[in-house]
Amino acid sequence: MKNRYKFAFLCLGILLISQSAWAQFTVTGTITDASTDEPLISANIFHQPTGRGTTTSADGKFSIELPGQNATLRISYIGYIAKNADVSASNNQINLALEPDVANLDELVVTGLGSSVKRENLANAVSSVNADELVGSSPAQTLSSNLYGKVPGANISSNSGAPGGGISIKLRGVTTINGSSEPLYIVDGIYLSNDAIANGSNAVTRAAGGGSASNQDNPVNRVADLNPSDIESIEILKGASAAAIYGQRASGGVVIITTKRGSGGKAEFSASQSIGFTTIQNKLGQRTFTAETAEASFGEPGLALFNEAQAQDRFLDYEELLFGQEGVLSSTDLSSSFGNESTSFYVSGSLQDDEGIIETTGYEKQSIRANVDHRFTDKFKVAVSSNYIHSESNRGLTGNDNTGTTFGVSQTATPNFIDLRANENGVFPDHPFNTANQLQTRDLFSNNEDVNRVLTSVKANYEIFRNAGNLLSFQFTGGVDFFSQNNSLIFPGDLQFERISPDPGTLVETNTNNLNTNTVALLVHTFTPSSEITLVSQGGYTSFNNDQNIVSTVGVGIIGSQTNVDQTNSQQINQTRVFQRDRGFFLQEEFNYDDKYILTAGVRADKSDRNGAVNEFFYYPKASFAWNLTNMDFWKNDNVGNLKLRVAYGETGNLSTFGAKFSSLGLSNIGGFNGVLINNSRGSEDIQPERQREIEAGVDVSAWQGLANLSVTVYNKNISELLLSRELEPSTGFSFEQFNGGGLRNRGIEASLTLNPFQGENLRWSSTFNFSKNVSEVTDLTVPAFDVGGFGTSLGVYRIEEGESATQIVGFDPAEDGSGTTVTQLGDGEPDFRLSWFNQLNVAKNIDFSFLFDWKKGGDGINLTELLSDLNGTTNDYDDTDLTFPDFVNDAAGITDDTINGVKRLSLLGVSSRQFVQNASYLRLREIGLYYNVPVSALSKISSGLRGIRFGVSANNVFTISPYRSYDPEVSNFGNQPISQGVEVTPYPSTKQYYFHFNIDF
Amino acid sequence: MKKINYHSLIFPLLFIGFSFMGCNVFDIEDRSDPNNTELGGVIQNPSRADIITLATGTESSLRTDLRIYHINLGMVGREMYRFLAAEPRNTQDLLGGGQSTLDAGAFYTTRPWAAFYASIRNANILIQAANTLQGGALSDAEVQGVTGFGNTLIAYEYLMALNQMNENGIRMQDPTDPEAVGPLLSRQEGFDLIISLLDNAATSLSNAGDAFPFTLSAGFSGLNTPSTFRQFNRALRARVAVYNEDYEGALNFLGDSFIDEAGDLTTGAYHIYSTGGGDQLNPVFAPPQSGAGDSWINHPSFVADAEDGDNRVIGDKAILRVDEDGNPNPATLDGLTGSYGLFVYKTQTSPFPIIRNAELLLIRAEANINSNTPDFAAAVQDLNVIRNAAGLDPYSGALTQEALNDEMVRQRRYELYFEGHRWVDMRRFGRLDELPLDRPGDNVFESFPIPESENVGS
Repeated sequence: MKNRYKFAFLCLGILLISQSAWAQFTVTGTITDASTDEPLISANIFHQPTGRGTTTSADGKFSIELPGQNATLRISYIGYIAKNADVSASNNQINLALEPDVANLDELVVTGLGSSVKRENLANAVSSVNADELVGSSPAQTLSSNLYGKVPGANISSNSGAPGGGISIKLRGVTTINGSSEPLYIVDGIYLSNDAIANGSNAVTRAAGGGSASNQDNPVNRVADLNPSDIESIEILKGASAAAIYGQRASGGVVIITTKRGSGGKAEFSASQSIGFTTIQNKLGQRTFTAETAEASFGEPGLALFNEAQAQDRFLDYEELLFGQEGVLSSTDLSSSFGNESTSFYVSGSLQDDEGIIETTGYEKQSIRANVDHRFTDKFKVAVSSNYIHSESNRGLTGNDNTGTTFGVSQTATPNFIDLRANENGVFPDHPFNTANQLQTRDLFSNNEDVNRVLTSVKANYEIFRNAGNLLSFQFTGGVDFFSQNNSLIFPGDLQFERISPDPGTLVETNTNNLNTNTVALLVHTFTPSSEITLVSQGGYTSFNNDQNIVSTVGVGIIGSQTNVDQTNSQQINQTRVFQRDRGFFLQEEFNYDDKYILTAGVRADKSDRNGAVNEFFYYPKASFAWNLTNMDFWKNDNVGNLKLRVAYGETGNLSTFGAKFSSLGLSNIGGFNGVLINNSRGSEDIQPERQREIEAGVDVSAWQGLANLSVTVYNKNISELLLSRELEPSTGFSFEQFNGGGLRNRGIEASLTLNPFQGENLRWSSTFNFSKNVSEVTDLTVPAFDVGGFGTSLGVYRIEEGESATQIVGFDPAEDGSGTTVTQLGDGEPDFRLSWFNQLNVAKNIDFSFLFDWKKGGDGINLTELLSDLNGTTNDYDDTDLTFPDFVNDAAGITDDTINGVKRLSLLGVSSRQFVQNASYLRLREIGLYYNVPVSALSKISSGLRGIRFGVSANNVFTISPYRSYDPEVSNFGNQPISQGVEVTPYPSTKQYYFHFNIDF
Repeated sequence: MKKINYHSLIFPLLFIGFSFMGCNVFDIEDRSDPNNTELGGVIQNPSRADIITLATGTESSLRTDLRIYHINLGMVGREMYRFLAAEPRNTQDLLGGGQSTLDAGAFYTTRPWAAFYASIRNANILIQAANTLQGGALSDAEVQGVTGFGNTLIAYEYLMALNQMNENGIRMQDPTDPEAVGPLLSRQEGFDLIISLLDNAATSLSNAGDAFPFTLSAGFSGLNTPSTFRQFNRALRARVAVYNEDYEGALNFLGDSFIDEAGDLTTGAYHIYSTGGGDQLNPVFAPPQSGAGDSWINHPSFVADAEDGDNRVIGDKAILRVDEDGNPNPATLDGLTGSYGLFVYKTQTSPFPIIRNAELLLIRAEANINSNTPDFAAAVQDLNVIRNAAGLDPYSGALTQEALNDEMVRQRRYELYFEGHRWVDMRRFGRLDELPLDRPGDNVFESFPIPESENVGS
């Protein structure tokens, strides 16, 4: 009897034990949008202890199997406030509604190398741009052009209208004079190379005199390679107070880009096609000639050609002939996200084919991406991102030159009464007034840039230890960025300017290989001793390596139509190599008391072989404090949902340019023997990074349940140890050296106001104003005032002078009392302010309408295109009299208000430079888009697998209002420059784009 | 569930991590310039090849900015005009037009100075590197050769600077410390420095064996071994001696030089030029018939004061300017006029003399005329060699010191025309007031200022 009971109890016991060990329950439910009651598709359901997760289907439903008897699930969706739900075997049916997170309070923002916090608790002014804001309204050609007007404090300016890129982003004013001013770009943990490599066209254009490499080759900076539609979100750390933890590469700010990742759950597939055309933004027009003016400007040959043209009634519009192509734009994107609870994939491919407004120019890009996330165990997960990009751009030949060969310079020498077109045999006539016929150059010459790029990163996250109040994990990130850029320029011997050379025909081949590798290894410890206190400590090591090799060969004397550079009469070769090794350590502590007080402190130690002492560490501390008043116990006001005061301080560095620390010997040959001769710049053995110290303070308010959200930040940036060049006593044998000295200061304010006046079912409207203003001053200069950028005082030049704005433009102007010519400040490159207005509307649930206005007030440029046109007598307003100058200027130049514009401006040469310094303000409608989403009900009738169909039209740069007297107030002949952005010499004209879009999601 | 040993996973991860970073985990290597030869390496760890390229580079560097130097001396010495419409300072500053003075910040003051001192620095690096190699890749004799070569060229460059700066003196360069700023020397201290360098170099060259470890260019053909290069050194020493009025010394030094009254007047040391890759072209070559806005013109007095029959003048160093119809076409700029185009250097690869036989004969004549024990007959002999070559009859003037000095100065003027001597000569003979002033308000300057960037005032 006893044995039977024992056996029964044993069986029961086993049964019970196995019940508890193997017990599972299934939870099902529906997730909806609290404001519209519509089901939320692809919302995330996540069970943290086991790491299991799923997503909701097209009708908002989900089902998940969980172990044990009860659990807490976290339900989240981008743009909505996440919620926790307690479920159990008995309570396994939940229907939840998620509130839209209009104030983005729950959004996670990166604050350290290994952690992020909710925006609600963030102590810095970090701007975020999500995928929808980035490309949802009207996608532009490259990443940087999609950021206009969306980041307060960012001064974004494109260098020309040439297809393929070439855009500068400066955050919070000018941070350096001789260093690099662009921000650090990090994509999925990879430190991206943003170099702009010159293509070598200077060998023919001689823009920079002599055959040296020049930044007047209109280069593309390589961030243009990224595919904007792969991007999930972008966070921008604008100043040292936020970016300090990135140390000595972060003075220009940090742009952190995260690409899309798969979500475990149902497989999704998305395809979109955009097709459109591009056209010139702003035509300037040509001068209307008469027989008299033709002879006055072009002499007897001009008169003869004018009469010929008049007899045939053949006056040509050269802007139309050269810039008149309506280039076809096409972009195809395919992407898919699939996986299961442990592995998820995001795969995408993209094909872009854009023509330019000049025939033979254009931009093509092919990109393929695979992002894989795999969770090996509960504790170990790995994320791999890999991207291959191939791009090819043909950017023509524009900008400055000293040989008359670029399209733009040739165009300024072209009156409308000559005929430069090819005859019926395809032969072009010589330009009667210039060394080059721009139509011939356009058709026969080629400028091709071919880039192959691979971006790969691996992120591993291992949970070392976890218990109730402790979580210690180890994170490792490794990134590789390799690109190979091949520039091929062919100037055939038939070109007008090549035929007169002793060696007709020029070939330029420039090959660049660039490799960046970086790693971050860190430990993060989260300690929650009580429900109110959270401490996040992190510390680790980072490394960065860069190697670059540029070999440029110029061959003159082409044989037939052969384009190999070794089959030319003579070659000249230049090679430049660059390397960099950076190592650093960092430590950071975050303390959060009940989401009321959030305190952070940290320090970064960096060393680099750009410094004279390669193994010396430089320390960059940071500290910040945020106070969430609305979370305080005393806060009773329900109207204000979030009120936060914040203050932050940080220091970053900016490394010296490569070569500053070397004393080197260059070549000096005699009689066939090779010799070396000391260069006149002495290396600075104690060169160190510039140091930026920034303090920022701000307030964030969110009121009336997210109806209005205001964020205001003021900042003060001081830069010391500026990299400058000083003259040495030449009797030492050296004339210059670079050194650290001098100081620069920027002060400014950024404000962002988002209004959501309507959040109802039939109308949703979100409107954002972004405002920023920055003022700079050179606070300390230990060398005499010097010029940076521009072509000399007589044409207007940027000058660094103590006590003045860093971006001041000086030039000649007559003294008001008539005593002669003085050098005086004529303008400033810094805008008075920038204001943008971005609107997204959703009407009747299915129609999306958005538009973005971008207003830059103030900020001057130096327009030399007008000068070249005047010197040739071809400016469109040459014969008008509407341009006026003050009386004292008229007197000094011997002109009156009735003198014609062309003669007026030419008379000012040497007397005044004010005609070149022009107001480059503009109001521009950057993006406008109208889309229709086929309703969900209609979709399910077509096919059950369809999640969405969307089609629409959009346009970029539709109109511009600006007093600037040329193609585009946004221009830079010298490419991306810290100070002298905004000098114009016959650029590739800027364009506008019109698109039709179609998008289908499965 | 099986408990996973967390700790055992950390180390493989860290290992993967660190191996990803490569060998240079923490320490950074201090690498040198990948694009050029770096100075540090050449001084601390030179090779024999470095010595050779430094020596060639030093010889090549003697030519830097010679155009500016010779325009300076040629215009102030009223030998020629450099008309360039884009550079008015040539015809204003250099001639003292109106209120103009010589500007301590202008290119004509600063660039030749910087060029001389860069050569001096290169030679100092050469000597320093050679001494580091002593007992190694270079034999002791070769080190002596390099030292003698270097110091001779350093002395020559100091002499060029002193010729230009004159009473304002020169600065001594610290031979081994590129950051140190050396002392300012007076004119006489400058000569003392030059003399000591030349004499030390001569001693080194006597102990330098049969050959230099490097090869000099064709500009030094016949003077490219230690013993023959020493002759070049002694020739320079003789020039410096007469600058210092040390006439007995000059005669001694000439005895050790390459002087040869029976030899070619053009024998000597030259800067050479070629169209080869990386090489330079003669900077003062220009076709004699060119537009007035960009031309090189003989000073009218050069032709006006010439002796009849002197074949060095019209048709040789002065070519009558004519237009396409053959009519005279004088060039005029800024109130100055000249009818003859300067044509001393006939092609873009014509060499430029450093010191040649003709000058040595004239130095010997000068020494014989002015020494404590003058030998007028010997002086006339040397002067006649010069006159003969110029197609002139032998000297038939008085045999007095005054008359012979006048003849010697005249022959120096016409023989060494536009070789950088006239202004220096007229200055040291106290005859600057004999130089013609073309326009009212013009001046003849005696010295160029020390460049502003030398900070001697502060």
